[in-house]
Amino acid sequence: MTARLFKGAEYLVTEVTKDDVFTPEDFTDEQRQIGETTTQFVLNEVAPHHEEMENHNFDVVVQLMKRCGELGLLMIDTPEKYGGLDLDKATSMLVAEKIAPAGSFSVTYSAHTGIGTLPLVYYGTMEQKEKYLSKIISGEWVAAYCLTEPDSGSDALGAKATAVLSADKKYYLLNGTKQFITNGAFATLYTIFAKVDKEHFTAFLVERNTEGLSVGAEEKKLGIRGTSTTQIILENAKVPVENLLGKIGKGHKIAFNVLNIGRFKLGAGVTGAAKHSLGDAIKYAVERKQFGVPIASFGAIKEKIADMTAEIYAAESLVYRLAGMIDNKLATIAQDTPNYYETYQKGIEEYAIECAIAKVFCSEVLADVVDEVVQIYGGYGFVQGYPAERYYRDERINRIFEGTNEINRLLIPGTILARAMKDELPLKSEAKKAFKELTSSSSEGSKAAGPFAAEKTLLANLKKIFLVLTWGSVKKHMTGIKNEQEILMAVAEIAINTFAIESAVLRAEKIMPGLSKAKKESVSAAVKVFTFNAAEQTATAARKAAYFIEKGGSLAELLSGIGRFTTYDATGLLQAKRQLADAAIEAEKYIF
Amino acid sequence: MKILVCIKQVPDMASRFKVNGDGTWYDETDLAFRMNEYDEYAVEQAVQLKEQQGSTPDITVLSIGPDRVGEMIKKAMAMGCDRGVHIQDKDSFRKDPWQIASAIAGFARDKKFDLIFFGMQSQDRGSGQVGAMVAEILGIACATTVVGFAFADGVVTAKRELEGGIRAVVKLKLPALITCQLGLNTPRYPTLPNIMKAKKKELLALPIADFLKEKELVATASAYPPAKKGTGLVLEGDVNDMVGKLVGILKEKTKVVK
Repeated sequence: MTARLFKGAEYLVTEVTKDDVFTPEDFTDEQRQIGETTTQFVLNEVAPHHEEMENHNFDVVVQLMKRCGELGLLMIDTPEKYGGLDLDKATSMLVAEKIAPAGSFSVTYSAHTGIGTLPLVYYGTMEQKEKYLSKIISGEWVAAYCLTEPDSGSDALGAKATAVLSADKKYYLLNGTKQFITNGAFATLYTIFAKVDKEHFTAFLVERNTEGLSVGAEEKKLGIRGTSTTQIILENAKVPVENLLGKIGKGHKIAFNVLNIGRFKLGAGVTGAAKHSLGDAIKYAVERKQFGVPIASFGAIKEKIADMTAEIYAAESLVYRLAGMIDNKLATIAQDTPNYYETYQKGIEEYAIECAIAKVFCSEVLADVVDEVVQIYGGYGFVQGYPAERYYRDERINRIFEGTNEINRLLIPGTILARAMKDELPLKSEAKKAFKELTSSSSEGSKAAGPFAAEKTLLANLKKIFLVLTWGSVKKHMTGIKNEQEILMAVAEIAINTFAIESAVLRAEKIMPGLSKAKKESVSAAVKVFTFNAAEQTATAARKAAYFIEKGGSLAELLSGIGRFTTYDATGLLQAKRQLADAAIEAEKYIF
Repeated sequence: MKILVCIKQVPDMASRFKVNGDGTWYDETDLAFRMNEYDEYAVEQAVQLKEQQGSTPDITVLSIGPDRVGEMIKKAMAMGCDRGVHIQDKDSFRKDPWQIASAIAGFARDKKFDLIFFGMQSQDRGSGQVGAMVAEILGIACATTVVGFAFADGVVTAKRELEGGIRAVVKLKLPALITCQLGLNTPRYPTLPNIMKAKKKELLALPIADFLKEKELVATASAYPPAKKGTGLVLEGDVNDMVGKLVGILKEKTKVVK
């Protein structure tokens, strides 16, 4: 385990080294075995039922959840005291990644183990945990989380559902409609958010057979058709007072904190889905012959394979680095700490920015990947019966749920600025230094030495660009910056790509000594290919932000600085792409 | 009851193999290793027997090889074996079946195992000799290529797969050794709680030198991929041109036309 503890977003104002990052290569034998059990389960037990699930045979889904319970896949994040395993987040993410090839079923699984189970684990009383947790971790009961309403999605606190204490003070009577509830049709325990006395946002544990609770019709969806998505309708639903979760008026904490883990876990899941679909596309490209040769031998296809491999490598590096950061933080909290889960929540919340980054970055990697996977399949990618079409449809929801990518992007600079205002991050002082450098026409910025010097130079400079633009926009708009969403979106892009490049580079540097010559070449190639693409995107975002913020001479100065500070020497890019593609084509799968 | 299961770690058979530097084995670089498929049947059968016998049998799982085999031994313990023995040998791939069998027998000789399970062969070397040799050295009963297994009243009833689709049932008194064939059972994958419990089980590491006194009887002279068959060539165009081309090729590549 790495030991240096980072503050959230601290990476933007400090230099992180290879010894500070956790990588997939650091997994223990036990973690790898847990990953293998998950893979075997998906391959042998889930995959054969795929069609049935897509056709809404939810009995199969419920049976498979029980099987997950037998294998222990539902107890990873639950405390040992209640029969769980209480494993670290890295393990939890690895399982999320390995279960992803199960498609729709992985969404059922994630909703159950994440937003379905964690509110109870974090905020439940001992009585509530004793009553429900054993049923949830055995798969006997399936859990669902009901926050969204027909008129409130991103604006979760705008919920209209109400809870009123009954005259005999034994029940809360819940009224309202919850929308897009994953596992809605077959869940047996719902965590439902409603406002007590139309004012105090509060969570409740509501059993399926509660009088007044009914399940709406199945939504007809673009993708993940093997999941159940329904409304949950509450008409004077009688919820016993002892099923109130946490405190009255504190529902927003529950709602938002579990989303941090949910976002991060989604990052791991989509990375697994990306690996899986890339593997299929490579196999297809090797088999499919045009002009008498496999299409995998064409440069046009090879470049796609190289780009996808490099992007997934970055996503994977990012997700497990974040797992390590959170695990390090959580490991500092003693189990017997009073208010253990409150401290634990704060530990996770520290990395709300990185969790949002993981969600946005990894889901967009998957989006790029499935798009190119369809392209590689050509006409066969556009028809059912080949898997590409389903990967393409199933992907789309990931950029919408667990907080849209827009909400998550806005959250990145928003949270960074809020922390800077509270002096938790030295944004202002660092930005001033960076501004001097960036606007000095002779400065090329930082110069790193040693392995991956070109990438590290770029990283140090991208951080400066982020600081200058973010601080510049605050200076200009003051508190009104929160209404300048276009600027916030652009600077978020810089923060996201910087974290991704850094994760890719540091992982490479850390694992390099233990690799074979061929693997070394592949890792270096992946870093080069990814860094080049990400640097170009970041430069565009930075220039856009500059145009949004400045004009005249200041703009010219800024643009010139951005030009110098986003320069990345990608000499050998073509060879790197071909090398990476050839390695992936030989292995016929994602190679790292 | 004491049970021994002997397992080997082999490369993922979907790998692309290359011959190693001295041309006697495959190059291990960047290969992913896993438990030999037949050995999984052996572990599963031992664990099933333990479950049927009300948990009294004690199962030792043994493997010979470099450090990497530790992970596989842990998997066998997560499947239900009670203790692990890793006989450390970085060069186990250079040992012939006789040496491997001698080392295993050297370990097992004074341990009084009632039953020993092997896979019927390894997926990489495929000699299929080691199990039978161990039985011979220890002087115990042996049945190979077993596809059915039952144990009652101190007698093993094993169904063997013969050539030509014939099965044979054999009975063995303990101590006995069997080698397991595809179809015997479906190996379980370990549950998460069992994976974590296995972490606490004993895993002994012992040097190969403690058990191996024998010289090799069979030396591998060379290992190589079979020669690739040439791909066909399709001639197209005018018949006269094609004949011309064909004669040219025959002159160049063969001695048919002079």
